[in-house]
Formats: sequence, structure tokens, C-alpha cells
Amino acid sequence: MVSKTEETQLNRLENQVDNGGGGAWEYLCLVRKLKVRRSEKVLKYGLSILNDLKKRSSLGTEEWTLYEQVAIAAMDCQSLNVAKDCVRLLRKAFPESKRVGRLEAMLLEAKGSWAEAEKAYSSFLEENPLDQVIHKRRVAMAKAQGDTSGAIEWLNKYLEIFMADHDAWRELAEIYVSLQMYKQAAFCYEELILSQPTVPLHHLAYADVLYTLGGLENLQTAKKYYASVIDLTGGKNTRALFGINLCTSAIGQLAKGRNKEDKESLELQSLAATALEKDYKQRAPDKLSLLTTALKSLKVSS
Amino acid sequence: MAADLVLDTAIRDWVLIPLSVVMVLIGVLRYFVSKLMRSNQVPDAKIVKEGQLIIRARNLRAAANFIPPKSFRARRLYYNNEENGLLIVPKGQAQNPQAQMFSDPNMAMDMMKKNLSMIIPQTLTFAWVNFFFSGFVAAKIPFPLTQRFRSMLQNGIDLSTVDVSYVSSRSWYFLNLFGLRGLFSLILGEENAMDDTQKMMQMSGFGFDPSKSLGAEKDSLDIVQHDWALPKFEHRAEAVLRELAR
Repeated sequence: MVSKTEETQLNRLENQVDNGGGGAWEYLCLVRKLKVRRSEKVLKYGLSILNDLKKRSSLGTEEWTLYEQVAIAAMDCQSLNVAKDCVRLLRKAFPESKRVGRLEAMLLEAKGSWAEAEKAYSSFLEENPLDQVIHKRRVAMAKAQGDTSGAIEWLNKYLEIFMADHDAWRELAEIYVSLQMYKQAAFCYEELILSQPTVPLHHLAYADVLYTLGGLENLQTAKKYYASVIDLTGGKNTRALFGINLCTSAIGQLAKGRNKEDKESLELQSLAATALEKDYKQRAPDKLSLLTTALKSLKVSS
Repeated sequence: MAADLVLDTAIRDWVLIPLSVVMVLIGVLRYFVSKLMRSNQVPDAKIVKEGQLIIRARNLRAAANFIPPKSFRARRLYYNNEENGLLIVPKGQAQNPQAQMFSDPNMAMDMMKKNLSMIIPQTLTFAWVNFFFSGFVAAKIPFPLTQRFRSMLQNGIDLSTVDVSYVSSRSWYFLNLFGLRGLFSLILGEENAMDDTQKMMQMSGFGFDPSKSLGAEKDSLDIVQHDWALPKFEHRAEAVLRELAR
């Protein structure tokens, strides 16, 4: 994950490069290190370095790293000719390399020749069955073809071995949510909470899934997780504040006042509502009336 | 006792400097040779999986209080049930790493390559130094030392009367052998510095047993008391919001 200081540094550099202040190479290095996706910028500035013979030769052996980076960025931007040129040059420099082979397979994938790319990837996997990047490419390929169930299958296979990879869990969770398989998604989000217990986004997504699942127990749990998001973000998360309101009213409907904790939870709701109102007043005063009617309808139903 | 030994400048030019230069060159050469011989080891799927499993189980143990009790119990059962839990290693199947080492010729081969690249040049240079440079007093360090250092600095000279601050050529060889690490890290890059002392440490640390750590992880997972932290969060959230509303 990109920390805040790194992000500000990245933005500063990007700004500087955008305005012609130089430092393109440093910017590209930082993008590569942080693994952020700024393909258009990378393509533009990377190409300008590669086309300038003097700048390119001053990089020394780093030149090839840049070729690789630009090739991937070009595939992302669908500038297939640029990508093809880069890969061809790399192939010339490293005739035996598997890394270049991977790039070639990715190029096939970018062109949409799925079958050939698939064949290339599976031959790589036969050689080295533990290549994480290729496993992930396969998932991405299935997803790009719209084959969600295939993507799920590949991801599950991947996670069977690399079960501590939280990014893969998140991807799987998002796919499950998109297919409305909420129970499975909930499991994935639990796994994410376990690996990164202090990231509020996981708590929020888990709460959303639980709320969508419905049922008294799930709603109560969802409310607890919304509350934890509020605690972790210092009450700045609007979605969690709305979530508290929705959960409380839904629980009220289901429990019909049987619940002993009713009073307590109502207090949390009213607090969340005031926080919301305050926030709207500050940032979107013209939508305040919408908010008050929405909140009122929630309260009436409870 | 001789107050001052006068060292011939020819000793400096023909013993001290050549010895150091040769040591450096051999270190560089050895680095490239070992790079050539290093076989690209493909890690075993089972070992990778076990490593990942341990990380995941450890995460579960550390963050258990953040998921609902039901989910926690389901997971613990998944890891720990006696029949097919992930962390259960069937008894006879636990492989002795020592036996594994001998059964897998590749592993033994790898070890041998590593050893050869370390031992052969060392014995050769030692023989070379012994043959050509034995018995020289090669240098003098500019401060006095106690008698204890005699074996370290005057290896190869059996004179008890020579002041300890004189360094014999064989000792100079040993000092170079162990002390050139900083120079190598400058020449070959930070992580490439091949240090003999470090290598020896690696050798002794050989024999990590994944099945044992799986068992340990299972035991510590067994005794985890699940105490759901989330109910507390409601009160904390209330406090946060109250603070915000003020």
C-alpha cells in the first residue's frame, strides 16, 4: 500500500514533470517502486526518454527496465505498436529470457488473442508452477474476457497455495460481490480483516456485505463494524454514518422493541445523524434537505 | 628485545600489497564463479504452501478478536480439526530434514557446490601464501598490543621476543580473509558481499523443520481465547461522535 508521504512525493514529482521541470526518470522510478498505475504518464515520459539517445544511454543497464515499464504501460493504453517495439528490442537484447517471454504473452493478451496467451502462460506455469505473476495474469485474463466464474476458479487455485496474499483475497471478494455471492464475499472480507485488522476499508466492506445479507444477527454485526469504521476513521466516513442509521432502523423493524439494547443503539443512531447533518451543512448545504427527509423516513419506520 | 625492527620497503612492495590485491581479486573471482554455479532453485510447492499457511494462521491468532465468534470458530476448526485440519501433520509423514537432504541429490549437490566454491580457493590461497610468504614480518601496526594478540598477529613466526605490534605475512592473510567484507560490498554491491563468516553461520543454521512450526502454530491457536472486540467499538464510536458533535 502507498503511504501518505510517498503519495505526496509522487504527486509533487508528477506535478514537476508535468510542468517541464525535469526529473522524469526519478518519477518513473518512483512509479515503479510504488507499483501505482499511471500508464499514460509513464508512456509519455518514458517514451520521451527512450527516444532521446543521449538520455537513454546515460541510463546504462537501467535502460532495459525502462523498456519493460514502458511496454507494460503501452499495453495498458492500447498503444500496441509501441509495446511491440519495446518487446522486440528486449527480445533482441535477451533472447533467452523468460521475463521477456512473459511480456510477449502479455502483448498477445493485450491484442485479445486469448487462446495464444493462455497457451503461453500455461507453458510458463509448467516450467515454474509457483510464478505468482503468471497466476495473476490468468485471473486478469479470465476477468477481461468476462468469464467471472473462470476468474473465481483461478483465484481459488491461486489462493490454495498463496493463502496469505491479501490482494488476491480482496479481488476475490469484489468478484463475489459483483456476482451477489455475499456469503462467500463475507468470508473473504473476514480474511482481509484478519490480515490487516486496522484498515477501515475492509471493515466497511464487510459491514456492507453483512447488511446486504440481512437477518437480525447479521444486521447487528454489521452495525458493530460500521461503528468500528467510525472509530478507526474518527467519524469522517460518511458511508459508515449512513450505515449506522440504516442498520439501526432495520434492526428496529425486525426486533420490534423486544431488544434490551434499544436505547443504547438509538443513541448511537442519533449521534451518527447529527454528525451527518453537521457534515452536510459544512460541505453540501444545498443537499441538506434531502438528508433530513431521508433520516426522518428512517426514524419514522423505527 | 630489539627496540625497532626496520622493515625493508621491498617487503611492502612485494608482500604486503600483492597479498591484499590477490585477496581482493580472489574474492571477486569467487563471487563470479559462485554466480555461475548457482543453480536456479525452484522452491517446492509444499514448502511455499506451508509458509503461507503459517502466516495465515498467525494472522488469525493475532487478529482473532476482530471477527465474529462464529467465523473464528469455523476457521479454527478448519485449521485444527484432527481429521483433515490444515495445520495437522500426519504422524509418520513428518519428514526429517536431515533425511530429506540425503534423499534429494539436488540439495546435496547444491551444498557441495557452495562448499567447493568456498573451500577450494581458500586452501589454494593459503598454500600459496604459505609457500611464498612464510616467515615475513609484513607490517607494523602503530599502537602497542598485549601478549594475547600474538597468536592473532604473528601466526607463522615462532619468536616470543618480537614486539606484538608486528604483523606476520600469514596473519596479514587472515586479516584480509575476514576483513575485506566492507570492500566487497563496495565493489560488488550491498547484498553481494560474500563473507566467509556469514557463510559459516548459514551452514550451522541449516535444517529448518516446517512440520514442527505447523505443530507449534496449531498449539498456540488451540489456546487462543476468543474475545470479540467489536462490541466495545460501539461505545468507542459513540465517544468519537460525541466529540465530533461538540
